Amino acid sequence: MSTRLQIQDIAKNEDEVLSPVQIDELVPLPPPYDKLEEQPGWKEIKPEIKEQIVCNLDGVVGLSLPQPESEAEKQEYVDKFESGLKKLFTKENNWAFLQPLLLTIDNCVSCQTCNDACPTYTSSGKNDVYRPTYRSEVLRRLVRKYVKPGGKLAAKIKGEDIELNWATITRLYELAYRCTMCRRCAQTCPIGVDNALVTHELRKLFSMELGWAPKELHEKGTVLQLEVGSSTGMNPVVVKDNMEFIDEDMTEETGVEVKSPFDKEGADLLLIHNAGEVLAWPENPGAFAIILNAAGISWTLSSDEIGYDGVNYGLFYDDMQLARIALRHAQTAKKLKVNKIVMGECGHQHKAFMTISDRILTGEMSMSRESCMPLLEEIVFSGKIEFDPSKNDFPVTLHDPCNIVRNLGIVEPQRRILRYLCPQFREMTPHGVDNYCCGGGSGFAIMSPNNFADWRVSVGGRMKFKQILDAFDDQPGPEVKKYLCAPCSNCKGQIRDIFDYYGALDKSGVIYGGLVELIVNAMVDVKEPFIKWEEDY
Amino acid sequence: MSGSVLLVLCYALLSLFAVAFVVKCVKIARLPMHLRWELAPVPKEKTRGRYGGSYLEEYEWWKKPREESLVSELTFMGKEIVFLKALWEHKRSLWWFSFPFHMGLYLLIAGAGLLILNGILGMAGVAESGRGVLGAGIPMLAAAGHVLGTIGAFGLLLTRIIDRNLAVMTSRVAYFNLLLVLGVCATGVLAILSVPNFTGGMAGIVGSLLTANASVAAPGMLAVHLLVTLVFLAYLPFSQMMHFVAKYFTYHQIRWDDRPMEAGSQLEKDSQELLGQTVTWGADHIGADGKKNWVDLATEEVKK
Repeated sequence: MSTRLQIQDIAKNEDEVLSPVQIDELVPLPPPYDKLEEQPGWKEIKPEIKEQIVCNLDGVVGLSLPQPESEAEKQEYVDKFESGLKKLFTKENNWAFLQPLLLTIDNCVSCQTCNDACPTYTSSGKNDVYRPTYRSEVLRRLVRKYVKPGGKLAAKIKGEDIELNWATITRLYELAYRCTMCRRCAQTCPIGVDNALVTHELRKLFSMELGWAPKELHEKGTVLQLEVGSSTGMNPVVVKDNMEFIDEDMTEETGVEVKSPFDKEGADLLLIHNAGEVLAWPENPGAFAIILNAAGISWTLSSDEIGYDGVNYGLFYDDMQLARIALRHAQTAKKLKVNKIVMGECGHQHKAFMTISDRILTGEMSMSRESCMPLLEEIVFSGKIEFDPSKNDFPVTLHDPCNIVRNLGIVEPQRRILRYLCPQFREMTPHGVDNYCCGGGSGFAIMSPNNFADWRVSVGGRMKFKQILDAFDDQPGPEVKKYLCAPCSNCKGQIRDIFDYYGALDKSGVIYGGLVELIVNAMVDVKEPFIKWEEDY
Repeated sequence: MSGSVLLVLCYALLSLFAVAFVVKCVKIARLPMHLRWELAPVPKEKTRGRYGGSYLEEYEWWKKPREESLVSELTFMGKEIVFLKALWEHKRSLWWFSFPFHMGLYLLIAGAGLLILNGILGMAGVAESGRGVLGAGIPMLAAAGHVLGTIGAFGLLLTRIIDRNLAVMTSRVAYFNLLLVLGVCATGVLAILSVPNFTGGMAGIVGSLLTANASVAAPGMLAVHLLVTLVFLAYLPFSQMMHFVAKYFTYHQIRWDDRPMEAGSQLEKDSQELLGQTVTWGADHIGADGKKNWVDLATEEVKK
C-alpha cells in the first residue's frame, strides 16, 4: 500500500471508503488463474444502493446497514455502542469471555507478528485495514478512552485519542466481518493475544446491544432455527421427507439398502448433521447412513425441532443465541436417551457444541459428545467393512476446517483414513493446525449480499484456493480428475463458490466433497462409483 | 542526595512496584472462569502435542484416561521463555533484537536475585569470602545483562522507527517503554564503566535496604542508574510490559485450558453461579429486563 492507514483514520470522513480493496494488488494465483483480465469482475454496487446503505470501509458491503435518517439516530447508536463497550467488560454480561478479552486488550505490544499469518491481510496485498491488529487497536483505544477511569485525558496525553462516532462504529461493524475468526493470528502471537477474539467480541457487542447482525446469521440463521427448527427453513416433516428421498436415491445408486433411522429411543448415538447437507450435498448424509449401517452401529437422527440441524451460528456473533441453540441440542439428546451425540461433517458445529458450550451444559444437560472423525476412524479400521483403496486411486488432498483442527485439535483420524483409503493422498502446505481458512468461516459462507461474495472468494478464500492448486501442481490440467476432501459444510459452501467463480472444474479438473463420500467410494459392497465426477459441482 | 532520602525513595518505589504487581496478578487470576477457547497445539498432550492433536481425537474420549506430559509442556515453555520461539518462527526480523533485549532482562533479574542473596548472607554473618560464586557471578550477570539489554532496546527502538509497517502501529507509550528500558540498561553500562566498584556499590545499596541502614551511598552514575531502575520498576505493573505475567494466563488458562466439564466438579459449580447473573444487554432479541439471568433468558426458548 502506498499510504499507511493510521488508527485514528477510522473516525474520519464517514462517507468515504477508508481503505479500498485493490484487485490488482491481490496475491497472484498460479496459471491459468494468473491473468487479471480473464477473471470474473466484481459486482458493482450501484450509486442508488450506496445512498441507502453504509459503504465506508473497503468498498465491499457485507452487512447492508441502512443509512440513518437523522443525526439523532446516528448518535443513538453511538451511545448504544459506548454502553455495550462498557458491558463487554462486566462480569455479569460477559463472564464467558472476560478474561481472554481483558488479556488481549491489555497486553498487545504491537509487534505485528500476527499480520502475515492472516490469510485475508496477506491475500489482499497487505491492505492495512485487514491487519489483525487494526481492528484490535481501534477497540483497545476506545476501551482505554471510554471504559477506563480517566481515559479521555490519558488518551490525549498518550496521543491515542480516537473519536467514537458514526464513522467509527459503522466501519468497525463492517470490519468485524472481514475476519473469519480462524485464529491463525492467535497461534503466532508470542504473548497469546487473540485478535480473532476481538472480532468475536465486537460482533457480540453489535448484536447483543445494538441489535446489529447480518441477516443471514440472525433473522435467517439463529432466529429461524429457533422458530422452525433449522436455518435452512426445513421443519421436521420436511427433513424426514428429504431424508427418505435421500435413502431411496442412495439405495438405487449404490445397490445397498440405505435407511436413516429417526427418533430411535435408546440408540447408542444421535448423529446431528448440518441440515444444509440434506439440501445441498445429500450424498453426505446418505454416505453416513451407508457407513453406520454397514458397521452395525445403533444410531439415530432426530426429528425434534433443532435436533436435526447442528448449525449454531450463535457461535459467530451472539452468546445468548449460542446458548439457546446449544441447550436445545442437548435437550434433544436427553429426550432420545442416547449414549452420545456425534457431530456430522460441520466444523462450527464441532466447536459450538463440543467445546464452547461445554461449560454451559451443566447438570442434566451435560452429556457425551464426539466428533465424527474418531468414530469414522474406529469404523474404517475395525474390519467390519471391506475396502478396496484402488477405487480411490486419484489425487486427493485434505482441507483442514479451522474449527475441527486448529480449535479442537482433531488432526490425525481423518488423515489416517485418507492415507489408508486414498493411494494418491497428498497434503497441502501448510496443513494440520497451521492450515489456511477456506475464507468462508465465521458465517461468511452463507453471506453473499452486494459484492461480498466476490470479496469472499477472491480475497477471503484466495490463500486456500492457491493451496489447493499447489497441492495438485504435479497434475494441474483438467484431464486428471482430482478430489478436495473438505469435511465441513461451511467450508464446502465456500469452496463451491470459489470453484464456480474461477471455473476450477473445467480448468483444473478438481471437485470437492466430504470424507464419508471417499469412504463409501472405497467400499467393496458399493459396486458403482459413489463419487460422480461428471456431476456439476 | 542523602542516604536517608535515597533509602526512603527506594522503599517507596519498590513498595509501589510490589503492591501494584501483586494487585495486578491477583486481579487477573480472580477473573471469572470463561468458556473454553483452547487453541492447538496444546503441548501438554502426550505424543499428540507434537502435531497439535488433542484428546478429542480419541474414540469415546471420555472413557479413556487423559495422557498428559509435564515434560512436553515445560519443554515448550522453556523454548518460548528463553529463546522466544514464537518470534523466531513468525517474526525473525524482530527476534534479532528482541532476544538480546529479553535475555538481558533475564540476566539482570538473575543478577538482582544474587545481589539480594548476597545481602541476606551478609546479614547472616557469612563472610564475603564464603559467598561462593556470588562475587564473580554478579558482575558478570550485570555486565552481560546491561549490554544485551542496551543492544536489544536500542535495536527495537530503531526497528520500530525505521520499519514503516511497525511505525504506523507503534504508540507513543510503546516508544516510551523502550526508552525506559534503554535508560535502565544504558545507565547500567555507563555506571559499570564509570564507577570503580559497581558491584560493590550495588551490593552496598542492597545491603542498606535490607538492614534499613541510612548510611547508603550511591556515587555519580550509580545513583542515576538506581533511580532510573526504580522508576522503571514502579511503572512496570501499570504498563504493557506486564505481558510476561499475562503470558502465563493466556497460555495456561486460555490456549491450553481444555478441561472438560465433569458432573459435580468445581468447574460446574462456578459455571452455574456465573449463569445465575443478571443480564443487561440491550438488544430486543435478548429479552433482558434487568431481572432475568443467563439461565432464564437462554432457556426461555427451551421451555417453549
